[in-house]
Amino acid sequence: MKKTFLTLVIIYMTAMLPCNSKAGNLSDSLQMRARVGYNVGGTAPIGIPATIRSIDAFRLTPSFMAGVDLMLPLSSRWGVAAGVRFENKAMDADVTTKGYRMELVKGDSKIEGLFTGHVQQEVTQWMLTIPLEATFAFNRKFSLKAGPYVSILTNSKFSGIASGGYLRQGDPTGAKIIIGEKEGEWATYDFSDEMRHVQYGVSAGADWQAFRQIGISAELHWGLTGILHSDFKTVEQTLYPIYGTISIFYRIK
Amino acid sequence: MLALPLMLASCIKDEPLGTECDILSAWVEGEAYAPIFYQSTQMRKDGIASNEHEIVFTVRSLISLPREVPVCFALTEGATISPANGSLQDFTQGPVEYTVTSQDGQWQRHYSIEFREAAMPTYKFSFENVEEREGINGCFFNVFYEIDSQGTRHDIWASGNEGVTLVHQDMQPADFPTHSIADGYRGKGICLNTQYAGDLGKLFNKPIAAGNLYMGKFNVNNVLFDPLRTTEFGTPIDRVPVRVTGYYKYKPGSDFTNASMDVVPGRTDQAHIYAVFYRNQDADGKNVVLYGDDVLSSQLIVRKAEVASLPPTDEWTRFEMFFEGGEADPAVLGELGYNLTVVFSSSKDGAAFEGAIGSTLYVDEVEVQFENEDE
Repeated sequence: MKKTFLTLVIIYMTAMLPCNSKAGNLSDSLQMRARVGYNVGGTAPIGIPATIRSIDAFRLTPSFMAGVDLMLPLSSRWGVAAGVRFENKAMDADVTTKGYRMELVKGDSKIEGLFTGHVQQEVTQWMLTIPLEATFAFNRKFSLKAGPYVSILTNSKFSGIASGGYLRQGDPTGAKIIIGEKEGEWATYDFSDEMRHVQYGVSAGADWQAFRQIGISAELHWGLTGILHSDFKTVEQTLYPIYGTISIFYRIK
Repeated sequence: MLALPLMLASCIKDEPLGTECDILSAWVEGEAYAPIFYQSTQMRKDGIASNEHEIVFTVRSLISLPREVPVCFALTEGATISPANGSLQDFTQGPVEYTVTSQDGQWQRHYSIEFREAAMPTYKFSFENVEEREGINGCFFNVFYEIDSQGTRHDIWASGNEGVTLVHQDMQPADFPTHSIADGYRGKGICLNTQYAGDLGKLFNKPIAAGNLYMGKFNVNNVLFDPLRTTEFGTPIDRVPVRVTGYYKYKPGSDFTNASMDVVPGRTDQAHIYAVFYRNQDADGKNVVLYGDDVLSSQLIVRKAEVASLPPTDEWTRFEMFFEGGEADPAVLGELGYNLTVVFSSSKDGAAFEGAIGSTLYVDEVEVQFENEDE
């Protein structure tokens, strides 16, 4: 599956390269933009479960994006765009939980149960993303775009700290294990090995060509696949990556 | 877009109903019932651990126990109890079963509340009474108890076995740090051995678990946070101890390690057998239990006994220790105001997570002798 996918990606990328010799007219009308941006968002269940009582902090992460895309106008307004981006969809958030299912794992040991207390959740997802979008230009400066995307994760981490509360082992009648506030007394977890390597989703956004070659762009990327393997049951809710991107683009061609 | 986290925050649902169903405290309501206890502080049990299912009130005499006694409970918020909280129940025929139901009605815990006379006629321990208890993670471990001459069971012994079930899976009784052996000095005996506490234990800088057995209770709540506070040492005693005797075998493990699991060259592990007799109330009249961090140092200790040395041996060897310290106050003794604990451990500094994996202590035929008692 993975191999097939990579092959497709390579074919796709090759096809994207400007190829003057083969189709001069097509190449002439292609527009090419380089982008750098920043992703803001999180990985969250659609409909936050009642076991999450509050979101207490949301810290900035190095969620940078850099990429290039090609747009082929099909009419005066409509076009298709495709690109390749290297980006990080990270998250660093604090939440307060009540009876939230989790598992503390370390080597051969594990404690699984329901945690009530504070959770600091860190997610890192460096990935190669390939968007395929339909574009609609209102005028020379402003255009909208929407379409599906696929991401291949290159480096990912899903870990956290549970502190200042207690874990009921197994179910609410199990042993109540107090988890402290300080390092050494708190508990850590790491589900990085349970993360999916390929994600799909849809995105929509707008480009505004503010200057002759430089413009700004805003996009929303809505993940349709969870970030963890679906057969991994410890985290009961499917966590979807939902991120917004603000970027600056430079029109190369 | 920056509003996204705020959007998420606005999706917080109403707080779910409670799922927990614990008895947190239990007490006998009404001064009229005070005379059935040695002292009124014993009418109340606070800080009941999450792993407890049996709550025992110690009374002067079961014969004079009224047929109807009201026991009240503090429960997890929103939980309910049946029979009703504070209802009159007959405890003269043995334990009364109570069921606590969570606020959401989905979960239940069952407790037995028992009224029992204080101490056992003798304190001779042959460790013949042992049961196999099913823990979590597919583990089965040994629990030791005593049966007195009237056939009453006394769960005076505790060990860290229940804590070990948290970090291991599918263990059989003989795999635990504390377990029964068929060939003791006479009949069955106990085997205590120091073990690796799993990678999770190591993560919390608690890499080893010494085998231990002690008179008292194990409070699982503190197992990760503050393991020294899992060992609640001591049970009420109506006599003054003078001497403890018994038989042991000991073999220290090969590599002595510190709390970071680094080998400490030149150090050899030692076994530890001691006993502590202490006042179970502080100056403010509050009930006190000693823990791993103060059992040998508390100001409330009246007298203690420690076996000076337990040289390695693979033959059953007699040990003896005498209590040293102050005198007991007869009036306090009459109010059951003292606790006694006897402790066996396969690693002397196991409480500091220092010791040698593999250190093994066998113990059998232990006897506590008391003042004014015929030899």
